[in-house]
Amino acid sequence: MIWLTWRQSRIKAASAAVVLAAFAVLLAVTGPLLASMYAVSTLGTCQGDINACGAYADDFLQQLDASHGGGLILGAGTYWLLYLLGFVSILVAPVVIGIFWGAPLIAGEFEAGTHYLAWNQSITRTRWLAVKLTLTGLAALAVTEALSLMEAWWATPISLAVARGACCSPLAMNQFSPLLFATRGITPLGYAAFAFALGVTAGVLVRRAVPAMALTLAIFAVFQVAMPLGVRPHLFPPDHTIAAFSSFDSLDVPIENNTFTAIPNGWGDQPEAWVLSTGAVNTSGTPVSAVPADCLQAIQAASGKASHPALLDCLTSHGFEIAVTYQPASRYWAFQWTETAIYIALALALAGYCFWRIRRRLS
Amino acid sequence: MTAVIETVGVGKRYGRLWALTDCTLSIPAGHVVGLVGPNAAGKTTLLNLATGMLAPTAGTIEVLGGRPAAGPAQLARVGYLAQRAPVYAGLSVADHLSLGAHLNPGWDADLARSRIERLDLSLGQKAGTLSGGQCAQLALTLAVAKRPELLILDEPVASLDPLARREFLQDLMEAVAEQGLSVVLSSHLISDLERVCDYLIVLVASRVRVAGPVEELLATHHLLSGPRRDPGTLPAGQQVISASHTDRQTTLLVRTSDEVLDPAWTAAEVTLEDLVLAYMNEAAGRGRHNHRLEAQS
Amino acid sequence: MIEFHLNGRSGVAPYLQLIHQVRQALRLGLLREGDQLPKVKDVVAGLAINPNTVLKAYRELEYEGLAAARPGIGTFVTGTLGGGSLAAHRPLRRDLQRWLARARRAGLDDESIEALFVSTFRSASEEGIA
Repeated sequence: MIWLTWRQSRIKAASAAVVLAAFAVLLAVTGPLLASMYAVSTLGTCQGDINACGAYADDFLQQLDASHGGGLILGAGTYWLLYLLGFVSILVAPVVIGIFWGAPLIAGEFEAGTHYLAWNQSITRTRWLAVKLTLTGLAALAVTEALSLMEAWWATPISLAVARGACCSPLAMNQFSPLLFATRGITPLGYAAFAFALGVTAGVLVRRAVPAMALTLAIFAVFQVAMPLGVRPHLFPPDHTIAAFSSFDSLDVPIENNTFTAIPNGWGDQPEAWVLSTGAVNTSGTPVSAVPADCLQAIQAASGKASHPALLDCLTSHGFEIAVTYQPASRYWAFQWTETAIYIALALALAGYCFWRIRRRLS
Repeated sequence: MTAVIETVGVGKRYGRLWALTDCTLSIPAGHVVGLVGPNAAGKTTLLNLATGMLAPTAGTIEVLGGRPAAGPAQLARVGYLAQRAPVYAGLSVADHLSLGAHLNPGWDADLARSRIERLDLSLGQKAGTLSGGQCAQLALTLAVAKRPELLILDEPVASLDPLARREFLQDLMEAVAEQGLSVVLSSHLISDLERVCDYLIVLVASRVRVAGPVEELLATHHLLSGPRRDPGTLPAGQQVISASHTDRQTTLLVRTSDEVLDPAWTAAEVTLEDLVLAYMNEAAGRGRHNHRLEAQS
Repeated sequence: MIEFHLNGRSGVAPYLQLIHQVRQALRLGLLREGDQLPKVKDVVAGLAINPNTVLKAYRELEYEGLAAARPGIGTFVTGTLGGGSLAAHRPLRRDLQRWLARARRAGLDDESIEALFVSTFRSASEEGIA
């Protein structure tokens, strides 16, 4: 059965190998270039902690974004494009696998009637499905995780820059940011397992490959939107704290009818934490939005911009601070394991359903 | 002789429709059994029950003394050829033989290879490019080379041209003679099966109408023609299967184990085709008059 | 080794046709004592008929004393059919050919010749000469 599964998947395996190889070559060629760019940059040559070298971190990331490539072959924001390509590949891999490996696995047999051939050899249907699912599923996990690991290796300079204090470039993503969280660590394994199991189950239910593919895509998309928006923030109860205005890299206070909203950017105290929500509070800790009378003059002085340094000083003098609801950085791996476990559990439940369905003697 | 397929009141329902109703059969080993009936009579359902692709809604079915598809040992004893002989289009002929070798502990590689050589099939050819007859022969090779005790074929020659049909049946009979196989094959045309079957089951509208060795069926069914007469006047023990009348003459197809002694009747030989058609008509309720005496049970 | 053929429309049961062909072959000298009858598997492979049909025919021949089965090897001819030795056939064939030539010279067509022969044959049989 192992032989048959392999023989039936030869083309799929070959295409996966080609994609992996192309990805690997691209990263292997550009990775060292990126690393050497880091090594010669102001950040790379700076020895010291965030306070000493933090300013250079953003500079380095700007380089990657800008039109000069630091005297290298690539230019015009190529690294930005490659970084983006990496994300897209890893995000898309699970669903592509679910569609092209998962959906036709069983549906293809039903459509061609070859299940009559396969199920009348001297092995049980359970064993047949078990081998097909396990081998192809493991391959799916391996491919997706390989992409993720290769990408993480390539992006080491960027991760270093973020760790050393980069805050404000679009490349400076927090580890909890949706793109990064979904493409690093072990979450890709969970998505791949789930998408594959979803594809196979859709195939078993619908019994035709193309509709099964569409169904898989639709359902997977729903999950991938719902998880970061609705589920992930609630996996663990968040922490709360109060921080001074100054602990943030920047603070916008847009004004409307003498009320202000505080929009902080980059929490210097805990740059790797996941900030869920913020709000201005007064000295007793209650939320506040009305601009105090004596600060109203500070507004007049500004010219309609959201950042009002004078206003901020005035608000600070009233003892206003920011209440932060957040998940600390130390919980990163707890989130990774929990989310992956959820997806793997879903995948196993779907697989179990497929076994039950097949054994129930479908003709 | 032990029974290869034994069913007691077996039935299969899909939703509200009974595809197979109250079938009780005891098919003996060592025969080539023809399962005949119109389309949608329930033939494929019965064969799917025998191979374990379906589970019965009512009644029981036993194949070679075991539950269908109960495990690898049971699966190895029964070979199956589905309608239109599905094969893996992307795999070559040689790949299919490897499939058989890997998935069947009882695989006879020499037998498989010699059959393929005799059929003149190219080992490297993809199964998707084979003709209908060649696909059927490849599928038959796969079913036969695993050395089963029972071979079940669902309408194996329905989509084949006459030459391919003849060659398929020749091959099948040779395998039966060589390996002592029992065979059950279904068809909606009795003419396909007449030459090869020595046991017949007629299945119409989900019920078994008649089942038995061909020789016995031909000996106990008679085509009687004589002056016009009410079939109800026949002696008990003579079951009228079909009747037709003109104003002067009555023609009856009758089943009886006794001799027909009444001199008013002229008895003629019944062909298998006449017999099957008569049962099909009886089931469909056609015919100008359809009287039935209660058969001796 | 003889080869069998089947007439599906003759109304004669296949196994009887096989028996008939063996007997015919014996009479014509195509089969002699000690010859092997075709193997069951070869017969069914050629004719696409049920092996049990062939087995039945061979069993019947065994019963009539014309053949005997040797397990694992095959079925062999053991007897002959009364009908005179082959030697008697040749002069009879020559006489028949001469008679046919005379009948044609007398102006009889094929159908008339056949009818004449059959009616004479029948009445002779009834008189118990044959």
